[in-house]
Amino acid sequence: MPYYAKSEDWLHQSALLLQARPSTTRITTRYHLKPARRTPKPPKSADTTTTAAAAAATTTTTQQPQEKEQTQNSKPPRGHLVLKTFDPSSGVTLKYKTSKAAEVTRLVQMLGALGKRMAGVVTAAPEKVGAAGDDVVMADAAGAAAAEGGEGLAAGSGSGVQTPVAGAGAGAGQQGQQGQQQAGGGGKGKKKKGKR
Amino acid sequence: MGQLTHDEFFAKLADIFTSRKTKAHGAVFLTQKRPQDAVDPLADLHPPHPLPVLIRATNGKGKEDRAAKIKLATVVQPDELDGFYARYAEVCKAGMAALKPRDRTKRKAKAKKRKGAAPAAA
Repeated sequence: MPYYAKSEDWLHQSALLLQARPSTTRITTRYHLKPARRTPKPPKSADTTTTAAAAAATTTTTQQPQEKEQTQNSKPPRGHLVLKTFDPSSGVTLKYKTSKAAEVTRLVQMLGALGKRMAGVVTAAPEKVGAAGDDVVMADAAGAAAAEGGEGLAAGSGSGVQTPVAGAGAGAGQQGQQGQQQAGGGGKGKKKKGKR
Repeated sequence: MGQLTHDEFFAKLADIFTSRKTKAHGAVFLTQKRPQDAVDPLADLHPPHPLPVLIRATNGKGKEDRAAKIKLATVVQPDELDGFYARYAEVCKAGMAALKPRDRTKRKAKAKKRKGAAPAAA
């Protein structure tokens, strides 16, 4: 019963399941509300001040915790959306969970796409599979062609241009190292920013 | 429980969503599947013609609350799928108001903070 991290993955796997068992697979969308996770605490004098102080110590600005507490106190119940594809005859369950309103339209579009598969309007294999299969063939062909081309080039340039090629290779290596170093520096900089 | 027309279905689905809004908990279930009686089992992999899709909606009430349970069902013909799902998306988006809205204010505040912090460090 996996939850997929990406809705696209869920869509793809669901499409495959629908293709395999179109007549028994069903797709359920569950929209449920939960009360806000943290109930507002009654203000206690000593405890709240210490916790507030601790919170202020961890985060640099003192205004933010107060704002957070205010928002928590007036937090409306949060909705969650779970998409589930279930095939009772094989017991396969595919799930996707989100709480973002921005995704709803896209997810319903996905439901529509799967509905088309269910209806038999679209009977072809899911796009990813077809594309991947084609890509494999094409990649092989392209790879073979590239290999041939490379051999041809190597054979052609094999007469007297060996040293520059070696030099180019060394240069590329140095560049690669520099690139790595730069990347490392960038990472450090980012970390510093994160700590603040 | 008969099947509703699309207009009735959407109207009642909106009702379910609004009744959900007023309470702090609960669920709405939406299901879609191929109608069972429409096919003979052998032809299901390669249907000769497109089949309708059955859409169901309930307000998630179980056995102990059978009287309050609302069940909706409608059948969408294959040529109506696009129009149906466009309206479906609208109703769902309007009804699922408790989902997390896209939050721009936080990101803006963060950017401001970062801008303010940068000169201090330099």
